[in-house]
Amino acid sequence: METTDSPVVTSLHQSDKNEMQSENNIDSITEVEDHMTLPRIERSKETKLLDTLTENNSNPRYLPVDIQKEEAVVFDVSETVKAPEDGGHEDSGEFVVAMLARGKLEEQDVCKRISPPILETSLEASTHWDEDVTAETWRQHRKHVFVLSEAGKPIYSRYGSEEALSSTMGVMMALVSFIQSGDNVIRSVYSDEHTVVFMQQGPLVLVSVSSTRQSEQQLRNELLYVYNQIVSMLTQASITRIFEHKKNYDLRRLLAGSEKILDGLLNLVDFDPSFLLSAVHCLPIASSFRDSLSQILQKAITPNLVFSILIAKNQLLTIAQEKMVIEDAKLDPSDLHLLLNLIGASSAFQAGEIWTPICLPSFNPDCYFYAYISYLDPPECTVCLLLLSTDNEAFYAVAECKRKIEEAMQAQNALTSIAKAQSYSVSQVGVSDLRHFMYKPFDVPDNHHQLTQFTSPEMEAPYDSEEEKMRLLDLYRDMHGRIHNTSRPLKLIYHVGLRETLLAWVTTKFELYTCFSPLVTKSCAINAITKLLRWVKKEEDRLFIRYPPKYSTTPNASKS
Amino acid sequence: MAESTKKLKKPDVKIVLLGDMNVGKTSLLHRYTERKFKDTVSTVGGAFFLKQWGPYNISIWDTAGREQFHGLGSMYCRSAAAVILTYDMTSWQSYVELEDRFLSLTDTANSDCIFAIVGNKADLTDSHAQASNPEGEEENKPARMSVSSSSLQRKQVNREDAMALYARVLHYKGLDEKACLPAESMCFETSAKTGYNVDMMFETMFELVVPSILKKRNEGESSTVDLEAPSTGKSNKAGCCT
Repeated sequence: METTDSPVVTSLHQSDKNEMQSENNIDSITEVEDHMTLPRIERSKETKLLDTLTENNSNPRYLPVDIQKEEAVVFDVSETVKAPEDGGHEDSGEFVVAMLARGKLEEQDVCKRISPPILETSLEASTHWDEDVTAETWRQHRKHVFVLSEAGKPIYSRYGSEEALSSTMGVMMALVSFIQSGDNVIRSVYSDEHTVVFMQQGPLVLVSVSSTRQSEQQLRNELLYVYNQIVSMLTQASITRIFEHKKNYDLRRLLAGSEKILDGLLNLVDFDPSFLLSAVHCLPIASSFRDSLSQILQKAITPNLVFSILIAKNQLLTIAQEKMVIEDAKLDPSDLHLLLNLIGASSAFQAGEIWTPICLPSFNPDCYFYAYISYLDPPECTVCLLLLSTDNEAFYAVAECKRKIEEAMQAQNALTSIAKAQSYSVSQVGVSDLRHFMYKPFDVPDNHHQLTQFTSPEMEAPYDSEEEKMRLLDLYRDMHGRIHNTSRPLKLIYHVGLRETLLAWVTTKFELYTCFSPLVTKSCAINAITKLLRWVKKEEDRLFIRYPPKYSTTPNASKS
Repeated sequence: MAESTKKLKKPDVKIVLLGDMNVGKTSLLHRYTERKFKDTVSTVGGAFFLKQWGPYNISIWDTAGREQFHGLGSMYCRSAAAVILTYDMTSWQSYVELEDRFLSLTDTANSDCIFAIVGNKADLTDSHAQASNPEGEEENKPARMSVSSSSLQRKQVNREDAMALYARVLHYKGLDEKACLPAESMCFETSAKTGYNVDMMFETMFELVVPSILKKRNEGESSTVDLEAPSTGKSNKAGCCT
């Protein structure tokens, strides 16, 4: 077994070295829309190991039709960049890199493939607002996120206080407006160790400075989550109005106290693959039980109620929606993620019933819903009920719905059953060598497209420590980034690493990421996936919300 | 089932906690209801608590002090029988804000609404206690944005200031000082951290709203409709249907 597999490991070393050399050539690239079309850096790691399954596939049933073979092309970026670029952009690009990575450019040390292990877990992030922004430790954070206004006023920084960073943010804004003055948009800056991504949303500028080696698109999505979380608190209309009124308004006045919500969001983005997959994770329960919970929600309604959501252990149990609402638009997973984050950040109110305005940006960025949030199992506070109404005066009516729900759940002893429900272990799948997976189906019945979901087992040993969890997620992110590469999307990646083998596969019916032990053979992995897909099919009713229930609360819906 | 019917009780009266962010409104309520002091996170919107006080059900609204939720204040205050205006004794600014931002929100409260002026963080007012206290961010400095603010914020608020504010509140509401409860009994200095005066303050308020409950019961439910239009600037009732 070991002897047959050893050449694979050796060849990995070689390809890794190749890749390191190629990466060392990269100094900095400023990607500028429209005018310049620079060759994108194609990180063709382990190219040799990338393979299609066509040759030795034993199970044609799950074969994708057109598998792209990854080519072993490495652009010599340092040359191609410098030739066409005009001085101004190049300078500014290096300037920001110098600002943000301070001298790191000179270091020509061999950089690691995947970013270094987390120096401090980002879970502590919320305590980092007072840290010294001139310190080396500040610069070493895996991922910085900054939000500033068009006037260059700091609004949010993930680490360190915004005030201490006002000059840094000023430089960022200067860069944005400099490129803008040439009718261009700055998108990203690459250095050896950092990727800087810029995103403008209305009057706000969001910047991510990351050493995680994530794709630009992924970082951009994360920034969009940050922007949307801000919109969820203020609405886009009011942000626009405020800045139209006063260009140099200090938005921190309105966001004061919300920093922890944004900190919490960025931690979730790092540790919860739901954000990467833009899908919702359901708690697995028997479909009959889920149906009975849905019925409870369907019965407890009041005028203007539009969404009833039941959550346990931060995972979705069931969600019922107003009929008219789903005809109009669907609840986007990203809106649900923002809601879940808000609930997590509101843990202080476990005893009370919260009534707060909240905007669902993907649904409608300009208006508020009123959210009723209450825990059903104090003092443990793991089962949370979330009711959304369009009427700001509806608190007592909605609170009454909660009493009905509570009563019905007590009658069925539902809380006890919910307490027993838990995520599953990969061992239940019964596939040897399979360590972990993420499965996101597209081929689900009627109405299912209303809510994109995915399923994934608990992360177990060896991925039970914070560092290892993060490492696996980084590998997944890397695979995801390459599968969804806009210039060269892939259908299938088979990646042999030192410590595990990964297989990512996208078809019209699903998106799948699997992690195997490192010594698995290719045919083994393919067999395992066949078995896994069969298992998911069998368990489908338990793993996913199959038919999201509806109700009607507005018989005479007044549409404006 | 017996337990659930208990929960169906309607609140008889409403008390609202108002005040700038980080003055410790949630901590005060938490100290009273849970008998302990812990780190809280900034309140979103408002949180509703129901307190059984003898035969009465008293609802307490713990509101967010953040400017973000300012437009909602008058909604939470609607037909309140009592308003607890809370400030941080170590922050002059939080005291000023009560008059600047929060007093006008009480326009939607009952006309016979009772006011209390409550200074929290009494434990930090002694000169020795000014040293930073590692236990709670809330107890140290107000949030990350105002760390470098002026010395005005550091100025402490004493009892005379609170009583002067009480007089101004009554004046604002057009109430006769002599006909109202005296300032001496309506200004409290508390500490959610040590529990100092917290029970006393809440229970005094509960006792004071009982006549209001009885009055409401006599009048029946007809008086609950408030015709004053809410001035909730940001809210949009049209909701999703756009």
